Amino acid sequence: MSGHATDANIAGWDGATSPLRASYGKLFMWFFLISDALTFSGFLCSYGFFRHRFSGEWPIPSEVFHHFPFLEGVHLPLMYVGLMTFILIMSSVTMVLAVEAGHRKRRKPVLIWMFLTIIGGFMFVGSQAWEWANFIKGSHEGAVLYDNVMYTYAIDPVTHHANTKILTFAHEPLSAAKSAEIIAKGEKFYGANLRHNEYGHTAFADYFFFITGFHGFHVFSGVCINIVIFIMALQGVMERRGHYEMVEKVGLYWHFVDLVWVFVFTFFYLL
Amino acid sequence: MSEFHDPFPNYEVLAQHDETYGKTARKKLWFVFWILLAVTIVEVVVGLIAPSYGIPTWFLKIFFIGFTIVKAFYIVYKFMHLGHEERWTKWMIIAPFVGFILYFIFMLTIGEGNYAKTRRFDIYDQQTNLPAPTGNAEPHGKK
Repeated sequence: MSGHATDANIAGWDGATSPLRASYGKLFMWFFLISDALTFSGFLCSYGFFRHRFSGEWPIPSEVFHHFPFLEGVHLPLMYVGLMTFILIMSSVTMVLAVEAGHRKRRKPVLIWMFLTIIGGFMFVGSQAWEWANFIKGSHEGAVLYDNVMYTYAIDPVTHHANTKILTFAHEPLSAAKSAEIIAKGEKFYGANLRHNEYGHTAFADYFFFITGFHGFHVFSGVCINIVIFIMALQGVMERRGHYEMVEKVGLYWHFVDLVWVFVFTFFYLL
Repeated sequence: MSEFHDPFPNYEVLAQHDETYGKTARKKLWFVFWILLAVTIVEVVVGLIAPSYGIPTWFLKIFFIGFTIVKAFYIVYKFMHLGHEERWTKWMIIAPFVGFILYFIFMLTIGEGNYAKTRRFDIYDQQTNLPAPTGNAEPHGKK
């Protein structure tokens, strides 16, 4: 270390000053997030491509995701996923407040806000597990799988009840005679897995599991990292270090997870 | 003091501020929260009523994607504090990402994706014995 390294503002990487005036760790968190954002962008672009390619057979999201806890049988599209979005935005706010408290070097508010963020993260992961369980379980009526093609029951646009006499393919109803023939020959199929999807094209289920699963995995790892940082703050590591930048860095990751969900919400549920 | 960290914290402490500054900063952060909440509620309400009012799809696409970009801007600039970084940091982070996204969209709409769209009935017949898909594209060549 040469003499100028002690200057509070212009010391740096053992050379000239850093033109970006940001620490190594924070910059590389940003670069990691760019690469992760590109991964998610690739997934979502690929989703858009498949959706366009099979636009006829693609399920309408509001006919797939319309459940709400404790309200069995009520048709409520977008409400549950809206609640999940609210939980994640809320946990993003508690995270940024933890970062702000870190900027004031106040340990206690950092711990409180970090704790609330961790709770929000667990709530989100739990909500997603419930969403997955519903999707895997499927509807009461199911659908008919015949000759490797999924035929869904016609759904009344007003009551949202399935008509188990009439089948549809690619949102076009078949004739009553043809429907009866396929119902007799085909087998019943409930819910979704990676090979078949009760609601329409298989790729819809594949993308749903893959993209929301990858995002949920990010949330889960974010919660784990948050817990690590929470324990470090609890032990006073940041105080000894003189700054709470670790909270800021994990905050960047957490906000990124929220950011990805904003896009997943739009492309999977709204459009 | 951890051995993995600079013994002379410099850039790490640049973002630190006092209590008075913190008070206004918190106010701004809560304001961003209300914006995000309002946008989300508007999106959900429009998503709920759109089918019964017959709002055209192209409008919904622009509406939802536009609002999503508004939300993304607030999260990145205010919550992730990109607005507080140096000018060149912003460029280094946003420019490569936007460049790749434009490339993706170009490839999917004008490049390979367009090919698969216009020729998809031919591809479909060769690969599967499914009924022909119904979409907004007309069958190409043969029925």
